[in-house]
Amino acid sequence: MLVGAISTLRRWISGLVLPGVFLLLSQGFSLWTVTLFLLGIIVVAVLASLWGFLSWRATTYAVTGNSFRLRQGVFQKSERTIPLDHVQSVDTVQGIIQRPFGVYEVRIETAGGGVSEPDASLSALDRDAVQTLRREIEGSRIERSEETTGPTVLRRLSTRELLVAGATSGQIGVAFSVLAIGFQFLDNFFPEDFVRRLVETLAPNWLMVLLILVPVGLLLAWLLAIAGTVLAYTGFTLSREGDFLYIKRGLLERREATIPLARIQAVRISEGLLRQPFGLASLRVESAGYGEDSGVSATLFPLLPHDEVGEFLAVAAPEFAVAPTLKPLPRRALRRYVFRATFVYLIIAFAAAPVSFLVLQSALGLLTLSLILPAAAYGWLCYRDAGWAIEEDRLVVRYRSLGRKTAVAPRRRLQSRGVTRNPFQRRARLATFLAEVASGSGGSALRVRDLDAGAAETLAGELGPGAHLERA
Amino acid sequence: MKGEPAERLDPRAITLWKITGTLNMLPLLVGAGFVSWALVRFGGGSFFLGVLPVLAVLVLAGGVVGVVPGMRWRRWRYEIRPDEVDLQRGIFWISRTLVPLARIQHVDTRQGPLQRRFGLSTVVFYTAAGPNQIPELSTPVAAEARDRIAELTGEQDEL
Repeated sequence: MLVGAISTLRRWISGLVLPGVFLLLSQGFSLWTVTLFLLGIIVVAVLASLWGFLSWRATTYAVTGNSFRLRQGVFQKSERTIPLDHVQSVDTVQGIIQRPFGVYEVRIETAGGGVSEPDASLSALDRDAVQTLRREIEGSRIERSEETTGPTVLRRLSTRELLVAGATSGQIGVAFSVLAIGFQFLDNFFPEDFVRRLVETLAPNWLMVLLILVPVGLLLAWLLAIAGTVLAYTGFTLSREGDFLYIKRGLLERREATIPLARIQAVRISEGLLRQPFGLASLRVESAGYGEDSGVSATLFPLLPHDEVGEFLAVAAPEFAVAPTLKPLPRRALRRYVFRATFVYLIIAFAAAPVSFLVLQSALGLLTLSLILPAAAYGWLCYRDAGWAIEEDRLVVRYRSLGRKTAVAPRRRLQSRGVTRNPFQRRARLATFLAEVASGSGGSALRVRDLDAGAAETLAGELGPGAHLERA
Repeated sequence: MKGEPAERLDPRAITLWKITGTLNMLPLLVGAGFVSWALVRFGGGSFFLGVLPVLAVLVLAGGVVGVVPGMRWRRWRYEIRPDEVDLQRGIFWISRTLVPLARIQHVDTRQGPLQRRFGLSTVVFYTAAGPNQIPELSTPVAAEARDRIAELTGEQDEL
């Protein structure tokens, strides 16, 4: 109840803070405005507590028969019944407010539920109540042996690994834009003179500005990226009990998520640009019912050595543990890869060079040509890394989109297979193969570009139903 | 993968696509007409330069209305096999899609106002990864296809 009151309070106050502060600033700090401000806060606090109490009293839940029932609402009563078969996962989140009280927010997700909101959520349950609820909901799906041993921990993220994960996360771009916004905010905060003098003393000309600001900005962005990773992944622990995987993570907000093994559609092993040189990888799962916005909850493990991925999957999700030798693409596909990577830059260069000659009367536009070589190299890398294999009824596909990714999906999880050919591919007897698996937000594809057309058709056939009968 | 799927769409699809193509091109034509008018009236360009936008749109429309529907119809094929639905479509990007019946969750038929005039319907079937469709079948054929998919889906053993 208290937690409910506090979170309502927080929500209401955050709505009032801006007008309040604005009022204070515009009217000056006279005794009268300060009193008014404090009075406002007290009134809001009292109302929020009352509301929190009422909604706490109105919320009841129960597991009866084969369904979970939730009743809530102070004025508008609502009652929701979720059949236990439809429950996808029971996740808990422990935010900063809940922590001192030792309670958890429980989120119940169903298959095909809304993407952004959980289908049912209980804002404050204590540890025992959470466990009981979990057992009641999941118990209907698993026949547990009498002596329950509890989940066994498969792997824990050490502090060192956590920091390495942050340092190599490749989120610098995101962090950089956050920083840029932050800087603008600062700009408004400090007097203009101060900023100008600061810049003038630090950097007398624009070259110095570049030389100083860019590395400092990058460094800050990098630190911010590390901080983000630390917030999200501190204490990342993956454990397994029977057919369920449990993930615990988070520094300020402790999250616990459940992934039923039966719901995992595909596993993606991702070796980021900064991680591949060190032989590091991260693992993600595509799981039906996990929405795009709870994307992080689809992280199976944030960082581990690439050599250990096979071993790790063998215990965590054995269905996906394969290490086949991949079939490479035919040599003639290289041209298409290089063309695809350089195409945009070629157009830019062809447009920029004449324009700069005519308008600026300089050959500066030719500089854009220098982009083409790295782009071609990237195309070559994409070609070299692409590959595919079928092993023991599982499709394995490797490709590069900045980082190198390997996706594994069992044949019975493929929702459809397709082969597409454009005119260029037809001339070179190449095709694009694409298999779809279910994922939180509709489908997600495993794609191989420019493999031999015949091979693509065989692949589509072999992954079909009844293929095992034909082979037998 | 087996040979091309056997069934074709209803031939009336071509006429329907020509009509929808025309309807889609109309706003573009009006826009181009406006640009042409503005060019001649205010831009001081010659008459020939002025009509270029309208001409370009007319050529495009000729393609969209005159050529594309026929090509599209000739390419579009489907077949409902006992274990899979096989689709082939596309003019430049020819794609072939195989959807196992065991993966299909439910199947609908749909009919827009224009389709109703022509007695055509679209069959839409959904897997966990999203919808697929067979457009422009004559309504009885579409109903038959829908029922057959539904019936076969029920019969599938788990792969």
